Amino acid sequence: MNHFEKDIKLRQLLKTITPESPGPDFSNRVMKSIFEEQFSLEQLKKYPVLKKSFWVFLSLFAILIAIAVVLSIISGTYPDQSTLQNFGMDKILTGYQSFLTQLGTLPVSIASILTATSLLVLMELLFDKKFGG
Amino acid sequence: MVKRDDIYYIKKVINGHTNYFSYLVERYKDIVFSIALKVLKNREEAEEAAQETFIKAFKSLHTYRAKAKFSTWLFRIAYNTCISEIRKKKPESIPLYDIQVRDETEEIDFDEFPEKDREKYVKTALKQLADDEYTLVLLYYYEDESIEGISKITGLTVSNVKVKLHRARKKLYAILSEMLNDKLYTIL
Repeated sequence: MNHFEKDIKLRQLLKTITPESPGPDFSNRVMKSIFEEQFSLEQLKKYPVLKKSFWVFLSLFAILIAIAVVLSIISGTYPDQSTLQNFGMDKILTGYQSFLTQLGTLPVSIASILTATSLLVLMELLFDKKFGG
Repeated sequence: MVKRDDIYYIKKVINGHTNYFSYLVERYKDIVFSIALKVLKNREEAEEAAQETFIKAFKSLHTYRAKAKFSTWLFRIAYNTCISEIRKKKPESIPLYDIQVRDETEEIDFDEFPEKDREKYVKTALKQLADDEYTLVLLYYYEDESIEGISKITGLTVSNVKVKLHRARKKLYAILSEMLNDKLYTIL
């Protein structure tokens, strides 16, 4: 018997064996895990960490900042305090200035980011409660 | 029931019919489990590794390109999963497979094994092979994987697969030959 014939014989012999099998409910367990995995992936897609409303508010915020920047460039000045006093907002302005003074230890940019983020999150929560169902 | 090829089921799963994946699990669970059992040497761990293999395969099924056989792709995941499991464990002493391999051991007539006991002898002989040798023999002779396919699964070079397969085959002949001699000796 040559090498080739012997290889065929060995193949035939090995084909007669039945390999080891896992437990009887193996396939069911695998499929159960797969369905669970799929469900969690779908949930993640359905409820992303940052919801759609967050991005809407963020876009609005960005647009407002852009408008403010453009306006300040065009006019070359910030709105003066006399205009605000005319609207009877001196008390609000005083409170706002004292709040900024208290935050004075932090760089203004960080304080602005934190305040804006808190505002956005709060708005998103309120928006979701009202319209998100 | 009509037996369809793997691609049919893969397309179904990718198109959202997840339950079709069970056909692939049924088709390959024994081989995947056998490889895992030989490498991990523990039924529970082997079942876990086999389960992990199928979950990994499901998760990355969209990345499967039909250039290679699905079985090759799946066995590669299985083999890598088992190797990772082994690496996680503490290093154990490597068993020495010091079976004497001689050229004349190739002279063996398989028909001498009584048909009813043949499977038992082959299984016992396969158990005596080293993990990698067992995997190569199982994939090449039982699953009809090509040398190139086995190279992809195990990460060995083609020439290394050939050498290892040749050695495994010789060892298998030696073990079977010894078994046959023992049997004849018992009869006499």
